[in-house]
Amino acid sequence: MLKLETVQIYIDGRPLFSSLSLEIKPGEIASIMGPSGCGKSTLLSAICGNLADVFVLSGDVSLNERTILALPMEKRRIGILFQDDLLFPHMNIAENLAFALPSEMEKPEKKEKIREALMKAGLSGFEKRDPETLSGGQRARVSLLRSLLAEPEAILLDEPFSKLDQELKDQIRSFVFETIRSMDIPALLVSHDHRDCPQGQIINLANQGE
Amino acid sequence: MTLVCFLSAIVIGLISTWTQAFGYMPSIGFNHFSVIHWIRLFSYPGFNSSLIATMISGIGATLLAFIFTFFLFAFSYHNQFWRLLDQALAPLLAVPHAAFAIGFLFLAAPSGWVLRLLSPGLTGFVVPPDWSLMKDAYGISLMLVMVLKEIPFLILMSLGALGRIDVRRSLAVGRSLGYETVQVWIKIILPQLYPKIRLALFAVLAYSLSVVDLALLVGPTAPPTMAVQVFRWFNDPDFEYRLLGAAGATLILLLVVSSIGLLYLLEAGVKLIFRSWLINGQRRSRFFLFSTLSNFLVLALVGVSIGVILVLLVWSFTWRWQFPDFLPATWSTQFWRNGVLQIGGPIWNTISTGITASFLAVILVIGCLENEILMLKRGLKTNTTKILWLIYLPLLIPQIAFLFGVQVTLVILRLDGIWLSLVWSHLLFVLPYVFLSLGPIYRSYDQRITDVAVTLCRSPWQAFLKVKLPMLMRPVLFSAAIGFSVSVAQYLPTLFIGAGRFDTITTEAVNLASGSDRRIVSVYALFQLLTPLMVFLSALFIPRFYFRQRKGMQI
Repeated sequence: MLKLETVQIYIDGRPLFSSLSLEIKPGEIASIMGPSGCGKSTLLSAICGNLADVFVLSGDVSLNERTILALPMEKRRIGILFQDDLLFPHMNIAENLAFALPSEMEKPEKKEKIREALMKAGLSGFEKRDPETLSGGQRARVSLLRSLLAEPEAILLDEPFSKLDQELKDQIRSFVFETIRSMDIPALLVSHDHRDCPQGQIINLANQGE
Repeated sequence: MTLVCFLSAIVIGLISTWTQAFGYMPSIGFNHFSVIHWIRLFSYPGFNSSLIATMISGIGATLLAFIFTFFLFAFSYHNQFWRLLDQALAPLLAVPHAAFAIGFLFLAAPSGWVLRLLSPGLTGFVVPPDWSLMKDAYGISLMLVMVLKEIPFLILMSLGALGRIDVRRSLAVGRSLGYETVQVWIKIILPQLYPKIRLALFAVLAYSLSVVDLALLVGPTAPPTMAVQVFRWFNDPDFEYRLLGAAGATLILLLVVSSIGLLYLLEAGVKLIFRSWLINGQRRSRFFLFSTLSNFLVLALVGVSIGVILVLLVWSFTWRWQFPDFLPATWSTQFWRNGVLQIGGPIWNTISTGITASFLAVILVIGCLENEILMLKRGLKTNTTKILWLIYLPLLIPQIAFLFGVQVTLVILRLDGIWLSLVWSHLLFVLPYVFLSLGPIYRSYDQRITDVAVTLCRSPWQAFLKVKLPMLMRPVLFSAAIGFSVSVAQYLPTLFIGAGRFDTITTEAVNLASGSDRRIVSVYALFQLLTPLMVFLSALFIPRFYFRQRKGMQI
């Protein structure tokens, strides 16, 4: 479970929004909405451990009963998806996915994992493909697969559908939500478009501002 | 079109040099092609040592500067040491190569400031030791100076390239997958960065293998590097040596081309070897010591540069300074007063040539970039990779490999030794740097602002002059300042194309450094340093003052 307790973020001594508490159960996808500049993405940065120095964070964030605020980003076990897929252009699709797998895993096992993941995403045979040759939707799916192959305990979605056209958006949204639910991990989605938000908790940060 | 016109000069220069390299120079009575000058070149006394020193200093400097640059990004990016480097970067770049080399010589020579600091207490020396620390036979000291000077250039180029990589979020993705920051840098960011600075690295390689002024100051002497040897042959009163020089210049070009090929092979090899390492899933690094070393490197880079400027300042105000005293026994402003009286001509030549060349370069570059926008509006896409190669070409071909050919052509056309030819020759090297510094910012300007302005004032020219140009004043002036500093540093074009009729502070400083009084040399080196620095400061403060009431323009 991902738990936020009286979380507040300050810039120059001013809070971006009022104190926020939230509990997200495994398999649940909570949504945070609000207009640009209300602190949605900043909140995600704070949870994953990537908060810029200009901000000050108060409150507590715990994941599966362990406090994570003191941990560096790489030790929090939280995956993140941005609106840009950020696939690594110097690696092919299989290498992008292998990057997320643990070093202890044997090569044949890694290969099998990647094959299975690509098959589930409808991308069988894409192992050797250059990311540049993929469509926006295909890239978005690979990006999600990469995050999930690292076996995170929670995932954060920072407006991941905002750059997709409407038809693709519907398709990718259901793929992302179904995959996250099947992994049974908590997820927190940030968006300014209510159509992107699944059923469940929706917090409007704009209403929380001071 | 501008680029093609400029590049034609290089082609003419190269062809002219190549024909002379094969013994054809009818103007001095050599009417038949032959390979005799190549045979003479390879059997010239000291040829092998000269070639080895050239390769050690040139290839060594390039590889070390590149490795150290990546090292700094991987281990120190955005820590407190990086902030120091970031603040020092502009002044580091503004210090001309020759002034830096002169200062480094006064710092690290056996009678230099470093040994004075340690003597006699720690070393016991009361007279300078008989060490060949500088001007060593293998070109190590030359390599070291070039490494220190090229790291800031590669950092600048890398910072520009990093703007096209989403570093912040790539780091976030990598770290969210469990990788430490250093590992993300090495496995994700740097492999994306390298292709974007490859051409800049090749330019450093071409420069390092063919540099003359720095090699005259801190390079080996007997025999000197190939470029210095060729330079001497070109200036030999016996015309036959010029053909030998042309063969040597062509050899330097071949050396550069084959070294670039070698770098490509090295790149392919590294990719092959490290491909599986990139995806082995190893998330922790054992590089803690490297981090300390990287921070130390930042301090060394900034420290040496400050030391270089300080030692020049101290020497310029010295009257009497004996070894091993740390500071002069008596001080004087005599050499500054003498310098100011004597340096008028060279300063005027430097400033007039530099300002004209950089002004023309800015106009031509803006013209090229506006043409790009016009083509885009007509639905024609420009091939930016091809353009980038064309822009880099004058920097990838060693100056010494084509300037002699250009000079010969200008002599035939009776255009040598005139000021406009000198400006044109500087423009050849100023233009690429102005394009590289202005291009990315100019292209990122939101053209819709100009479109709105056109609808309001109904004239594209008015919209350009009243809206676009003022908005881009800061980058335009800054790129002009970069162009000016490039012009100030030109040594070979001034000597070859100016036919020795135009002294600049760079030619004077280099010529004086070979045997003159350290105090006079320091004054000239400081003039060489201060001239571009003043222009840089003006480029920074003019827009700040002009837009002092506009908060949005105070970035």
